This record gives sequence, structure tokens and C-alpha cells, in this order.
Amino acid sequence: MLLPSMIVLAAVSLFPFFFMIYASFMDYALDMDKPRFAGFDNWKGVLTADTFWESWGRTAVYAGGGLIAQLALGIAVALLLYHIPKFRNLFSTLLMLPLFVAPIVTGLLWRFLLDPTYGLYNWFLQKLGMNVQILGDTAYAMPAVILMDVWEWTPLITIIVLAGLQTVPEEPLEAAEVDGANGWQKVRYILLPMVRRMIVVALLVRSMDILRYVDTITIATEGGPADATKIIGYYLMQVAFRFQDIGGAAALGLTMLIVSTLLGRFFIKVMRSEEA
Amino acid sequence: MKRSWTAGILAMILTSMLVLGACSSKESSESSSPSASASESATNPSAPSSAAASSDSDPFGGWVEGLPKIEAPAGFDWKQFAGTTLNVITENTPPSSGLAANIETFEKATGIKVNIEQVNLDVVIEKAGLDFNARNDNYHIIYADPYQILAKQAKHFLDLNTLNNDPSLPHIPGGLEDFIQSQLTADGYMGNKDKLYALPYDNPTMVLAYRKDVFEKYKDQFMKEKGYDWTPGPDMTWDQYYEVAAWINQKVKEGVITEVKYGTGHQAKQHDSLMNDFSNVLASFGGQYFQAQNIGDIGTENPGKSLLNSPEAIAAAEFYNKLLKEAAPGSTSWDWSGLAEAFAAGEIAMAPEWHEFSGTFENPESSKVVGKVGWTILPKGPKGRANMYGGTGVGINKYVPEKDQKAAWLFLIWATSPQTQYKILDVGFTPTRYSVYEMPLLKKAMSDPTSEEAKKLPLASSLTAAQEAWKEGNVYMRPKIPMWPQIDTIVYTELSKMLAGRQSPADTMKEIAKQSDKLTRN
Repeated sequence: MLLPSMIVLAAVSLFPFFFMIYASFMDYALDMDKPRFAGFDNWKGVLTADTFWESWGRTAVYAGGGLIAQLALGIAVALLLYHIPKFRNLFSTLLMLPLFVAPIVTGLLWRFLLDPTYGLYNWFLQKLGMNVQILGDTAYAMPAVILMDVWEWTPLITIIVLAGLQTVPEEPLEAAEVDGANGWQKVRYILLPMVRRMIVVALLVRSMDILRYVDTITIATEGGPADATKIIGYYLMQVAFRFQDIGGAAALGLTMLIVSTLLGRFFIKVMRSEEA
Repeated sequence: MKRSWTAGILAMILTSMLVLGACSSKESSESSSPSASASESATNPSAPSSAAASSDSDPFGGWVEGLPKIEAPAGFDWKQFAGTTLNVITENTPPSSGLAANIETFEKATGIKVNIEQVNLDVVIEKAGLDFNARNDNYHIIYADPYQILAKQAKHFLDLNTLNNDPSLPHIPGGLEDFIQSQLTADGYMGNKDKLYALPYDNPTMVLAYRKDVFEKYKDQFMKEKGYDWTPGPDMTWDQYYEVAAWINQKVKEGVITEVKYGTGHQAKQHDSLMNDFSNVLASFGGQYFQAQNIGDIGTENPGKSLLNSPEAIAAAEFYNKLLKEAAPGSTSWDWSGLAEAFAAGEIAMAPEWHEFSGTFENPESSKVVGKVGWTILPKGPKGRANMYGGTGVGINKYVPEKDQKAAWLFLIWATSPQTQYKILDVGFTPTRYSVYEMPLLKKAMSDPTSEEAKKLPLASSLTAAQEAWKEGNVYMRPKIPMWPQIDTIVYTELSKMLAGRQSPADTMKEIAKQSDKLTRN
């Protein structure tokens, strides 16, 4: 019974995984007739390249900044929706709209909004006397791409947390009210602790995603200016498709897989400790 | 639990903001190529002037007199490959749009079905690379960018000499000698001339776009203050260009000049465009990327050591860094399309730009500067002049079966023929054939920009400058080496760091040289 699904799993998941391991030890460029064994050359090249470590550093800022902002906003919006007596579903649906936008379109949308010539937001800034070129300035480009990710993915956190909030029983909240707890205290000591597992699930899903998403950055900044937004996923794409260095890209991809796995394990551990 | 109405109002505000954000999305074409936006329509500029003879000698429904015809050996059956489907992958450039709009002519004449896939250059590189690597024939005809594709993948292209010399097949109309020769060398060959891999297809070239109205209006004032005629032309130097840009910026600040916001704009985003923009300055200052000779036209596998740590290259970087401080601040976020949009919006007085954008500038739907744009070659530096050439050829995938190769050959000779090039002039196409430039329509359009002929051709205003730019001593061709995509990335990334103030011009050149030498193992 399980055999067909195992075969499909092997085809779509295990084969690429083992192929990546194989490719990471090969001198393997797209224009080569036959890959050649390269030992640890690709790994050495990847791990000793400044760009690799710098890209991981920027990825930490991008993922960390994005996740913190999304989490804070997502929980806030979920609590807001939870407290709405009417039309909650309507508001929820409308707030979900950015989720349905393809990341490439998100990149395009924000590039237009921030465009120095005809961008709406840029126009506002100019009217305020601020001649800032957001996507062309190293100081603002990273916050801008984080903002794009936050805009698109905050609703996902919201929907997961809201789902958790809706399962919270009324009794503890009513008891707290009888004891004279104010709104903030109910959120702080009852609601948030009761949805902690959902928050961890949301973080798990988003942290896996944010490490690999490059679409928005590809469209909005192409890793620039001055590499300010070159995160590891974009660097990998450059090595694989622009430089056509499959061996180097495989080694890079495996480092991403290792980090993703470690992050995933961390969040699963947190979830288990919550259960305990 | 008590739920607040205030929370409801806050949610409504949040929702409105998100919805407004989502609704303000405006679909537009992605930054793609210097030439992509020039394509507007696709109707023939002139109907064939002679009537069709017979279907054997004239399968394409009439010839334009004065141009070489597509001729086949006696008894050649144009329909022998009927039923074949050809897949073409190309960058979304004017010739591609023009061919796609006129493909029915070819399909009707040969019975061959042609699918033209127009995508960004990066996608062409990726898909062609995957096809070649797998020895697949998903794409029969490939847009062979000489620097990003041909230099690296030449061995996967069919030698077109074999088909051109095949007595049973039609030959290149007008012969190879009808192609602009420097472009044929750059687009068609790699390393030597033993094998012909591609035929010249398009030829965007960087020249200088400037606002005629601004330069005419303030000419006397500038002359009075600086003592020379500031009109951009062949005598302008980069130092003068800088001085003019700075003067315009100053006068804009004082409220004297109101027609533009900035003196100069550049395509200085961390992108291939930055390498192109900088290379014009580099070469005019006497700087070179590598030691090897003829590296730009015929190309080589081994470029030798990097020469970017030479005093000339460092001087060029210092000048470029200084120039960009006077440029429109948006320059660091613009590639060629962004720069063109800013210029078309009337923000900039001068911009080194691909000549094919003149179609955009003269289109009232996309431009506020219609009729106000002048074109000339780029300024000269201490050691000469350089106008970046960005042309490309089209070739046939070697892994295509023999029968399909012949069908693809028919497409290739039709697509690059003078007859076809002439018919798609009005989509913003720049001919790669000498014979087309000899046609009265083009001659008149280029000599008189106000003529009716010029109005029919979107690129008429910039073609004269482009032709001047192609002359020896004016044209610049970047290194054609297999590792160019990596070198290009190193160049524009390090330059972007320089422009962001993260490293000095000298350190930038040294860093590029160091990384290039490591990559080329020199």
C-alpha cells in the first residue's frame, strides 16, 4: 500500500537530496560534458568565500527582522480581530489579501511604490522634504525588503494565531474578569500563554520559508545596492543560474538545508517542551 | 468577554491600508533589456514595392526592391518541412516582437510552425544552459548573446557554415558580407573564424540622450559663464560632461532651470547596466579589463591578467565615482529601463543610454519629452571614446535533428534577411545589414528627423548616433570570454560598493582585478 507513495517521495525528495550531495563533490558546470570529481573543492570554495558569510549575515538580519516584525504585528492583528464582535470573517478575509499575491508581484508592486521617478511612497517622502532613494540606498534597502516580506506574510501569522485564539475557552477569561483583570492582563496571562504552541507553529513555518524566498528581492533590488540585500538564497540562485556552477550551488544549498533543519529542530523542541 | 468597537475600527483601518496597498499594484513589464521597451507596434513600414512573381521564386509574398532577396536553388521546395514546429527562445527585444508579429509570412511560405518565446535575458541564459547541458532540443533557435551565452556555450551551437554551404539549401541573402562586419565578428564567432555560430540579430548601443530644449534655451547663459558651446556632440569630453551636469544641478537649485531636475542620470543599479555604464568611461580613459587582444570582438578562452589595477582604470573609477555624485540620486536604483523611465518623465537633461530607447522617448503615451530629445555619441576621455555595443546573434541548437536543423536554417535566413529587417523597422528595430541602410526610407529618416519617413520609424532620431558609435575607435565591446557572467557580476557588485561609499575607487579596481585573476586563474 505504501509503496507508490514511497516511490513518489523518493522521486520528488530523496533523489534531489542525494543528487545535491553528489553534485557538491563534483566539478559540475552546466556547460561541461561530464562532471569531474572535485573532492572538497566546492565546500572549500563556499566556506572560504567572504560573500558566503556576508550573505548568511544578511540572511540573519532579513529573517530575524522579518520574523520579529511579522510575529509582533501578526499577534496584534489577530488579537484585534479576536475582539471584533461583528464582521470578523470579512475583515479576516480582506486582511488575507496580500497572502494571495505571488511574491514576484509583491516585489513588482513595492518596486513601483518606491520607484524614485513615479513611486507613490517616494513622492510622499519627497513632499516631506526627504530625498531618499529607498531601494538605491544601502541604509534603507534591507529595511525595505523586510517590509515587503512583512506586508505579505503577516496575515499568515495572524490567521494561525487567530485560529488558536478561537479555541481558547471562555471560562478562564470570565474568571479573570470576575477577579478584576484588565484587558492587557487577560491577553498577557491567559490568551498568549494559551496560544503559544500556535505561535511556535507559525514561527516554524515562516522561518523555513523566509530562508528560501528570493522572489521579492530578485525583482526589487537584485541583491543590491552594494550587496546590501544579497541574502543566501539570492546568492545561491546567482551561483546556480548566472554562474551555472552546479557543484558550488549544491554545496551552498546543503548549508541552507542544514540551517533549516537545525531551525526546524529547535522549534519542534520548543513545541515539545510546551507539551510537557 | 467584552469586545471593543474600537478594535473593530482599528481593524477596518488596517484592512483598508492593506487593500489599498494591494490595489495600487500596476502591472508593467519587468526590467528586461535595453531594447525591450522600444517595441510598440508591428505593422510594416512599407508594403513590398514589387508584385510577387511566382510562388517558387517569391514564397514570401513580394520583395522590397533594392534589397537582396531570399533565393533558393532551382526547384527548391519551400514546403518540404511543412508540419515541423520550431521553438525559438529570445530576449524580448524589438526584432523578436517584430518577427512574432510577422511570423505568419514565414509560416505561410514554409508550412513550418514557429513558437517564439520572449523572456528576460536571464531566463534565456538559464533555459539555453539547461537545454545544452541535457543535450536536449527543446529550443531549436537560441538568442545567442555573445557575452553571456555564446562565449560559454559556443560548442553547443551548430556551425552555420555547414548549412550556408549546403547546395541544396537557400543561402544567406546578400551573403555574410552584407552584415555589419564588426557585429558579425562579435555576434557570430568565438575564438576564431573557423565556425559561424550565429547571425547578427540586434545591435543596441550606448549613446548619449540629451534634452535639446534645455540645451538650446540655456546655451547663451552657459556660454557666458563657462565660455564654450555646451551642446553635446563629438567634441564633448567627460570633464565637460561633468561640468555641464554640475552646472545644470546648480541652476535647478537656484530655480533658473525648471525643465529638468538633474543634469545627468545613470543606470548604476547593482546590475549588468552598471558595468555597461562604467565601461564607457573606463575605455575612454584608456583602461582595459584584460591583457588579451581582440578580446571584445572575436573573443578568447584565456583573457590573461586583469588590467584594472592600472593607473588608467583607477583614474576612470575615480572620475565615475565623482560623476555619480552629481547624478540624479535615483541612479543607484536604476537599470537601463529605470533610467529611460526617468528620462522620459522629464527629470534628466543628459543620460548615457541604449539607442533603442528613442522609441520610448518619442512615444507620447510613455514620454513627456517627445520631440525634445537629441542623440549623439558619448563624450571622449583622455585616451579616446567608447560606446558600449550590446548586440546579439541567433543560432541553432546543435542537438536538433538534421531535418529540423534545415527547417531552423530557413527561419534563420528569413529572420535576419534584409527584406524582413526592412519590414519590421517600424517596431523600433535597428538593422544589422548594410543594404537596409542604403534604402531611401532610412536614409531620408536619418538625415531629416522632421520628415514623414522619420515619423514612421521610432529609432530614426538615434540611429545616426548609433551608426557613428559603431565606427572603429568609437565602439566598445566588452570581453567575450567564457567566465564573463562571473566577471560581470564581480564588476558591478564592487562598483556598487564604491558608489555606496564602502570602498575607494582604487580599492574597487584592485578588488575586481584580484577576484578576476582568481577566477581566470591568472
